[in-house]
Amino acid sequence: MSRVLVPVEVLAGKTVAPGLMTLLGTVDVTVLGYHVLPEQTPPDQARHQYEERATAALEDLSEEFRAAGGAADHRLVFTHDREQTVTRIADEITANAFAISGMTGDVDTILVSLSGDVAVDRITAFVTELIGDREIAVTLLLASGAEAAVDDRLETAATQLREAGIDTNTSTAAGSPFDSLMDAAPTHDAIVIGEAAPSLRSLVFGDEAERVAASSVGPVLVVRREEEKAEATDSEQ
Amino acid sequence: MKPFGVATAPAYYLAGSEPLTMSSEPTGTNIEGEAPDAEPVVETDEATITEDAELERTLGLSGGLAIGIGTMIGAGIFVFPGLAGAEVGTAAAASFGVGGIIALLVALPTSELATAMPKSGGGYYFISRGLGTLAGTIIGLSLWIGLVFATAFYLVGLGFYALDGLALVGITVGASPGIIVSTIAVIAGIGFTVLNVTGTENAAKLQNGIVALLLSMLVAFLAFGMADALGLVDAGTPPGEARNVWAVGPIMSVAALVFTSYLGFAQVATVAGEMKSPGRNLPLAMLGSVLIVTAMYVITIFVATSVFTQDALAAAGETAMVEIGRALLGTPGALVIIIGGLLATMSSANASILSTSRAIYGVSKDALLPGWASRINLKYGTPHVALGLAGGPVIVLAATRQVQLLAEVASFLHLIMYGLMCVALIAIRRDRPEWYDPDFVVPGGPVIPAVGAVASFGLIAFMDPLSIGVGLGVIAATAGWYFYYARDIRLKGAL
Repeated sequence: MSRVLVPVEVLAGKTVAPGLMTLLGTVDVTVLGYHVLPEQTPPDQARHQYEERATAALEDLSEEFRAAGGAADHRLVFTHDREQTVTRIADEITANAFAISGMTGDVDTILVSLSGDVAVDRITAFVTELIGDREIAVTLLLASGAEAAVDDRLETAATQLREAGIDTNTSTAAGSPFDSLMDAAPTHDAIVIGEAAPSLRSLVFGDEAERVAASSVGPVLVVRREEEKAEATDSEQ
Repeated sequence: MKPFGVATAPAYYLAGSEPLTMSSEPTGTNIEGEAPDAEPVVETDEATITEDAELERTLGLSGGLAIGIGTMIGAGIFVFPGLAGAEVGTAAAASFGVGGIIALLVALPTSELATAMPKSGGGYYFISRGLGTLAGTIIGLSLWIGLVFATAFYLVGLGFYALDGLALVGITVGASPGIIVSTIAVIAGIGFTVLNVTGTENAAKLQNGIVALLLSMLVAFLAFGMADALGLVDAGTPPGEARNVWAVGPIMSVAALVFTSYLGFAQVATVAGEMKSPGRNLPLAMLGSVLIVTAMYVITIFVATSVFTQDALAAAGETAMVEIGRALLGTPGALVIIIGGLLATMSSANASILSTSRAIYGVSKDALLPGWASRINLKYGTPHVALGLAGGPVIVLAATRQVQLLAEVASFLHLIMYGLMCVALIAIRRDRPEWYDPDFVVPGGPVIPAVGAVASFGLIAFMDPLSIGVGLGVIAATAGWYFYYARDIRLKGAL
């Protein structure tokens, strides 16, 4: 089964929207409670003081996730660097995706972006498993660009999803992948995007996923790229 | 294909039963009934894993070097050349060389200890585990006080540079420049304390940038100074050269004074718990920063004493480097040095305040200080009590403006710690607790730590009697605290 990492800044009173919990009911979840400390503070010092409170909150969250359907566990990390922590934990648990929590009620429609250099197969497989046999409609979005011309990823993905019994629409848009995603976002309850390869652009403008999450109100699920390390261990077996 | 999400315990629970787990635990309680907070942990290159939580390691090699170099460089280049050159002329280069060798002799054993115990608290931690609670309490509290003296010293240096900066932009300060220096030092002290309590921005990148900028400025400046000193270019500096006192006694006495320039490499060990790949990065950061600053110091002194006579260096005092900059490159040279001096003393002061709060945490975690000393607030996530315990006395000391006394007391307290760290290494190697498994091992058996200990304690003998007296007073007070507060706590051999 797929596993989704859900980072929550648990000591800042952040929690997970009920709609996202229900949406993730079909997959396994690891709740990552993290707390970012300024460099003046040794992480151990914060653990000493806040571990109990944070663990209690995380146990409650995991329980709610289990009640929503899937298996759930949790990790608690005190760190100076959120991104490093999320990446490390995602690697360790070989998560297929991580969630950037946002406000949402019940999820009836999902917007899936296939624009850019993303692993379309992985996204399709993940969405299929995520939706399962639930009545959730998908809109596949592709910003018109070079990719649209070279491959028929939009049609291939739509066919696969329809074969799995999912109500699927396709949509192409002019303009940048980011802007077209933002244009379509308000009419959907959640967004699924692929993790783009780190490029010069994401160095300059911040990670694409973070930008999408910052600009949209609802939750964003980021499907991770193929992991080379995991590949290597798999082939050894 | 490995199935995802098989419902097993996460890997770190399994790893907890490996022999990596620390067997012996501290015992006993302090006078208030608090016990040391000890949990079995597993250290990996990326995190420290406790029973319920993980502590991310986020500092890389460059961050470690920035702490080491950033702490050290403020004093050695921007405060001491005038004072040291005035005493012994070009021979001061030898004094800095001696200081660098002693620092290296201590940095090697410290590296071994730090890779075996990559934890917050640095020297305190090693000594309390190697030599027991009494030595640990003395060093833990002396490290705090020693860092307070060092920080006050950096801030006074900052005050002198700010005064020169004001003069350069045409603001004259009238008859009592001393009061201005004190005022600036005190304001800066308050400012750093408040910034550290309320600042949630990660200043680490800024510190890295400042250190990189400083190093490149200094390399350019010193290269030009060397060319001038060796007669390759002629900047029109006065032909007079410092009279040189090549005698062991004065050279060692100056080495004792300027050793404050080397208090910094061991501060790297206070953030050992946050270093990525500690087995590799800790030794590289400590040894690397000592080697880099030693080279910079020796060259700086050589340039300074080639440009100016002893009398001129004595007259220019704490900011002699500004006059040297002016002599070599005119007003722009003076400006470069003033900016460099401000940046360097600031970075030294800031890095020291940071280490101080970690030193206090290390001691308080073991119940040698009340637990409230390491409380942090959720609003800023900062240890406001520990920062206050660092900043408060710093401000009082900075107001005194006693550069030499502040520097020597700071050195005294650090040298005691350095000497005992070397002894602790020998003791721990002899006892060989089950958990002792350093990634970095000092070659040559007990020779280097033994020489390091003798050199550290020996350097103290060359200090001013007043500094030694103040230092001994601090030691006596901390020992008294142990007998009053923490007599029943056992830390030796525990992890």
